[in-house]
Amino acid sequence: MSMWRNILGPRQKLDGGLFLPDHKSITARRPIEEMEIDGPLHVPLQIRRDLPATARVEPDDCVLGGELLAHADGSDSVSVSAPTSGKIVALERVWTAADGFLPGAVLEPDGRDEWVQPRQRWESESFVWQLADCGVMCTTPRGPGHALIRAAAAASVTDLIVNAMETEPYLTADLRSLVEEPGRLIDATCEIAGALGARRVLFVLPFRHRRVVARMEAEARGRFVEVVPLANRYPQCDPIVLVKTLLDREVVPGGSVLDVGAVVVPLAMVRATGDAVLGGRPVTQALMTVAGDAVDHAGTYRVPVGTPMRRIAERAGLIGPVARAISGGPLMGVPLGRDDAVVTADTTALLLFSDGGPRPNPVPCIRCGWCVEDCPVGLDPSELMHLEAEHECDPIDLARLRVCVDCGLCSYVCPAQLPLAASIKRARSRFEKTRRHATAAFE
Amino acid sequence: MTDWSARGAPHCRGGDTHRNMLGAWIAASAMVAFCGVVMFGPHALTTLIVAILTAVAADMAVAFALRRPVIGGASHACLIGLLLGLMLPATVPWYVPMFGSLVAIVLAKGLFGGLGHYTWQPAVVGRVVVQFLFTGHLSLTSALAMSPVLAPDHILAGDIDIDHAQPITMATYRGWFEVDGPARADAWLMERPVQALRRFAEGKIPPDGDQVYEPLLRDALPPWRDTLLGMVPGGIGESCTIALIVAGLFLIYRGYLRWQLPVTMLAAAALAAAILPVESGEQAGGYRWLPVLAVEQGRAVGLAYVMYHLTAGQLMLGAFLVAGDMISTPMRARGQIIFAAGIGVATVFMRLYGTLAGECYWSILIMNWLVSTIDRRTKRPVLGMAA
Repeated sequence: MSMWRNILGPRQKLDGGLFLPDHKSITARRPIEEMEIDGPLHVPLQIRRDLPATARVEPDDCVLGGELLAHADGSDSVSVSAPTSGKIVALERVWTAADGFLPGAVLEPDGRDEWVQPRQRWESESFVWQLADCGVMCTTPRGPGHALIRAAAAASVTDLIVNAMETEPYLTADLRSLVEEPGRLIDATCEIAGALGARRVLFVLPFRHRRVVARMEAEARGRFVEVVPLANRYPQCDPIVLVKTLLDREVVPGGSVLDVGAVVVPLAMVRATGDAVLGGRPVTQALMTVAGDAVDHAGTYRVPVGTPMRRIAERAGLIGPVARAISGGPLMGVPLGRDDAVVTADTTALLLFSDGGPRPNPVPCIRCGWCVEDCPVGLDPSELMHLEAEHECDPIDLARLRVCVDCGLCSYVCPAQLPLAASIKRARSRFEKTRRHATAAFE
Repeated sequence: MTDWSARGAPHCRGGDTHRNMLGAWIAASAMVAFCGVVMFGPHALTTLIVAILTAVAADMAVAFALRRPVIGGASHACLIGLLLGLMLPATVPWYVPMFGSLVAIVLAKGLFGGLGHYTWQPAVVGRVVVQFLFTGHLSLTSALAMSPVLAPDHILAGDIDIDHAQPITMATYRGWFEVDGPARADAWLMERPVQALRRFAEGKIPPDGDQVYEPLLRDALPPWRDTLLGMVPGGIGESCTIALIVAGLFLIYRGYLRWQLPVTMLAAAALAAAILPVESGEQAGGYRWLPVLAVEQGRAVGLAYVMYHLTAGQLMLGAFLVAGDMISTPMRARGQIIFAAGIGVATVFMRLYGTLAGECYWSILIMNWLVSTIDRRTKRPVLGMAA
């Protein structure tokens, strides 16, 4: 890192965005720990509701760690492997935070944790096939990893962006893996870049962790990976915003970054790809932050897929009663209404708070303009909020609704405590549905 | 199975609410009001209290009559009453602030839909309406050309009654601190700095030989230090420039006032004062262009003239406390720059060529009226929807 960049800071082209209080001081210093779970694991056999997979096991079967539990049906589905050795007790539905009920298998670990041999890498097997076979998942956009790579290859993207911008408060999984396995991440990045034939590889990480940046630059030297530190203003982790900042390309409303010749791969997927392609191990663990003011031993943990959140909370220790729990970051995460939700391959955090959370008491907009200045994509949320109550919406407004990246910053800053982000989300889903109906009727 | 409560994202808030904002504005205004009470005595305190109490009572009454909840408790009405009091001189009888508050709350706030919906800043509307209704107490002309300020030995407790005040000859006045011996009356009667500047712009201050600006600065205006510290007559909150700057910096520090607004407003006013021509006394109808360039006997009198324009009254109060009201200003910083520049230029323009008193308040109302247009013109480009 040159002296000038230390003085001048990172480049900032993002209009809007906000430096949030990040609450990472505790978890960022603690090394990653394995969380050992006793008791049954409720492993979901699908990663998304619309991606079916066929169970390969029956109740009373004994499996080894890494053995296939479910086989992919169709080209977009991914296989699921057993997180440890043990006995299948039952096949029943499990509850996940993002998708609700999914078919799953209850695995009673035998405690020996015996594993099958690491899968050999065959020359005949394609990169995409290996990702699907190992169950690699992408967090944003949420879906199968191999489908993202395949779509990127089909769109012949030129730029590969690895997204290690963990700008949401509390989350430290990406930061800890940057600290603990930097070389592995660069290797995996090069594998992905090679499979895509990307012309330019950008590795984006927060500027404020300067020693991490220096270490990554040392690792990346001579590897055709460009390490780009960015200011960690909050929605900089969003792919569309990132593409605008880095490449100055704008994605049309409702489009994806593939349309502008770039693919944004989250660091969690790079990590999983490294395990799968370089180590031959399927994805059976999630690297997640457990934090919040109700947690005694906050930290970053490796947790087997299928662990109920309740057991994680017990293992990390609770200081007091938990009033609310969030899977993911505090701005974009999914609220956990029930404590039997299980860890999936894309879980990034479990946040447990002892307070009931913000109880909004909305008043009329006082026109402070903070939401307008902070919006990362230049919307006027106070104007769009009224669309929720409308019966119709014109195409321009619908396009505006679809530009929104759901970062939640408008609700975060609003001094009138208006539910801006939530009402934009609701209005978008409603108008997109009516438009789809209208199109279907027309055809 | 335990149930954890589930609400939609985002799960945390920045923590600034409208209550914090109103509280900070009230605290900033109260600091200025305190300085005003020190300089203008118990009459100023009465004026402020009447304005605040009437505003709060009127707000409650409007809320009750229209069956609307009172948003933010009494704090918004309290702020409006306080700002209105700051814009009035301490010599007005008690019914002037009362009537002003009633107009502000009932007409300008209540009938426009309450907090968050009004177009014109209510306190300014109240000030402007009472200026029409009680011309005898608020006009700058004729009998009221002179207004009182407390003498050094009588601050905080002196009686500011205009009839018992001791007139001051400005030509021999060396400044508030410089007068020797105890004053004969509680208050001194002198011309408001704004009024002197207005007379000068109309060419009514005759030149002294070849010196045009020297008679204004020497014979008609108090020392600049007095206008900074607030020892000049005027509205309760208009005179103490230092207090207003500190209050404004506090609001900027808290993030409730964008620095662009006061800075642009003062800069635009200074620029307008620097270049707008003034009528010179020597030949009728002759104008002096670019007053800022004037130099007399080796002194940069033009620069002093411009600085007096900024600190003479109204502009500082308008820039730091009144114009920044969020509800009646543009949303974006870029829009606020246009808005504030308009106010600054219009204020100096009306001061130089107009006849209405309270020129800064009129300018704020004019620009409030343009806010929706400015907002439309300064929208941010939406990502992916350019052109």
